[in-house]
Amino acid sequence: MAAVEVPIEPVRRSRGSGRGALGILFAPVTLLIVLFLAPMVIMASMSLLKFPPNTASGTTLDHYREVLTNPLNLKIAWTTLWIGTTAMVIMLAISIPLAYYMVFRAGRWELFLLLSLVLADELAPVVKVYAWQVILGRNGIVNWFIPGPPKSWLLFSPFAVIVTLSASYITYTTIPIYAAMKAIDGSMFESAIDLGAGWWVQARRILIPLAAPGIFIALILVYIPMLTDFVTADIVGGTGSYMMGQRVRDLILGAGDWGAGSALNLVLLVLSVIFSLVAYWLGRLNRIQT
Amino acid sequence: MATGVAERTIDATGPALPSSPRIGVHTARATWAWRAFLAIVYLVLFGPLVILILFSFNDSNILAFPLEGLTLHWYADAFKDELLREALLNSIVVAALVAPACLVLGTLTAFGLTRFRFRGRSIIGGLVGAPLILPWLIIGIAALMFYVRFNVDLSLRTVIATQIVCTFPLVTAIVAAQLFRFQRVQEEAAIDLGCSRLQVLRHIILPHIAPALAASAIFAFTWSFNNYEISAFTIGFQQTFPVWVYSSVRNPDHTAVVNAISAVISVVQVVLIWLALQLLRSRSGDDATRGMIAGTDAVAPGVRN
Repeated sequence: MAAVEVPIEPVRRSRGSGRGALGILFAPVTLLIVLFLAPMVIMASMSLLKFPPNTASGTTLDHYREVLTNPLNLKIAWTTLWIGTTAMVIMLAISIPLAYYMVFRAGRWELFLLLSLVLADELAPVVKVYAWQVILGRNGIVNWFIPGPPKSWLLFSPFAVIVTLSASYITYTTIPIYAAMKAIDGSMFESAIDLGAGWWVQARRILIPLAAPGIFIALILVYIPMLTDFVTADIVGGTGSYMMGQRVRDLILGAGDWGAGSALNLVLLVLSVIFSLVAYWLGRLNRIQT
Repeated sequence: MATGVAERTIDATGPALPSSPRIGVHTARATWAWRAFLAIVYLVLFGPLVILILFSFNDSNILAFPLEGLTLHWYADAFKDELLREALLNSIVVAALVAPACLVLGTLTAFGLTRFRFRGRSIIGGLVGAPLILPWLIIGIAALMFYVRFNVDLSLRTVIATQIVCTFPLVTAIVAAQLFRFQRVQEEAAIDLGCSRLQVLRHIILPHIAPALAASAIFAFTWSFNNYEISAFTIGFQQTFPVWVYSSVRNPDHTAVVNAISAVISVVQVVLIWLALQLLRSRSGDDATRGMIAGTDAVAPGVRN
């Protein structure tokens, strides 16, 4: 959302006409309305039908009541939350020092590190998750290094999902934090050192507070995809790591329960929109975007 | 407080000279700690890829360490696999259609949003940005219901249609960032010297944004090629490459072949994406590239799943 919000230059009146914009934007906006917005509306309408996709079956709010009170859903929501939060803590533990290094220590390697992060992120997610299955597997490299019998909790477990999720989203936690840290004046650390502050005091009293907006943006923006991730949990997860994304997918494709599926999906949609608006607002507030 | 600080400062200046070697030792240790940390980060980011490549040459169908000798026959098997060939072809066809469509739509949108001021601009900006934020699972399911509701048969065509609307905003983000940095003075000078709108576009604007366009084309292509979620919900009976990988992962006979083809695909993508990033750099310079990534990529995560 924020990316497209490129601030407009003061434009000469003669050329800033709405009609020209209409001509240019007509095709893309029409496509968005037909192929993006309309499907969302259809999904919302399905969630209100008694027996979707039968449009003659009458409307009801039962699906929402069912979805929000079903103990199974609450349990899955809890699993998703704790797996996501644990992964988030790990990602922050890596991203904060990494962003700090990129901004203040990397020197001419800064851009290289940044580009590496983007590169790692652009590789096929399905393939990356699969690679973690190979790494964590019974005969995988990790079990080979650890002495003793193969550890079965390494794969098809919440542990595997947490590790894989953390590895997958490091780019997205690091970049907003990096952007926030770019605004910090490096001489502050020098003054702090002169005043006798150790690295921990510097981190706690200067780095973290000043990078906080970036950290919050990272938090919000990475919770959104983790909320709906089903690829990771499918490939490396087990029965103990059944997540919300899998639940929605199984309701729709497995059980064919469009009512509950679309209602749950809409709940996730609303959460995503709220999250991203908060992130956008935070970014605006701190002028982090670029 | 103030006096405490002053005292410490004075203390620090006193023994500063003799203690400087100790500071040197400390920073050397810190440097090694940073190197170790970076090594771990790179291991996490690229280790999986290295493992896949290693195993793809391993002369055993069981994914076990230590490796058992070199072979190329998984590659041969991969190229003989009928289903895999079809899936790869489907993915390439889809991406080859999605990428140019996104390039046109995304660039038009970028122009519309950066070069014109009109009412409802922020609403349109939000609409264009929404597919970048919303998870593909949500978009995929909504698309599935939409197509079923209007009796559109699911096929590669539906995959292409939905992928286009979810990917062109990425092109918009990249090109808009570039356009905004572009000095409009040149454009206006050209008009003052009698250039037509079309000439301005051809001789001034296009050369300037050409690297960004090339980079966006590569990104749009890889996004489309790698996309699992949207394809899985809107595809019907065919397979794309990620869908094939997904279904093969549970089949133990297939693992070595999956390794081989994944290794090839990943290496090709590393080269292509690195090229795209260098293209962005070539025109914008290092600072602008940093700004573009930190500005544009920070919004993209919703997309990945």
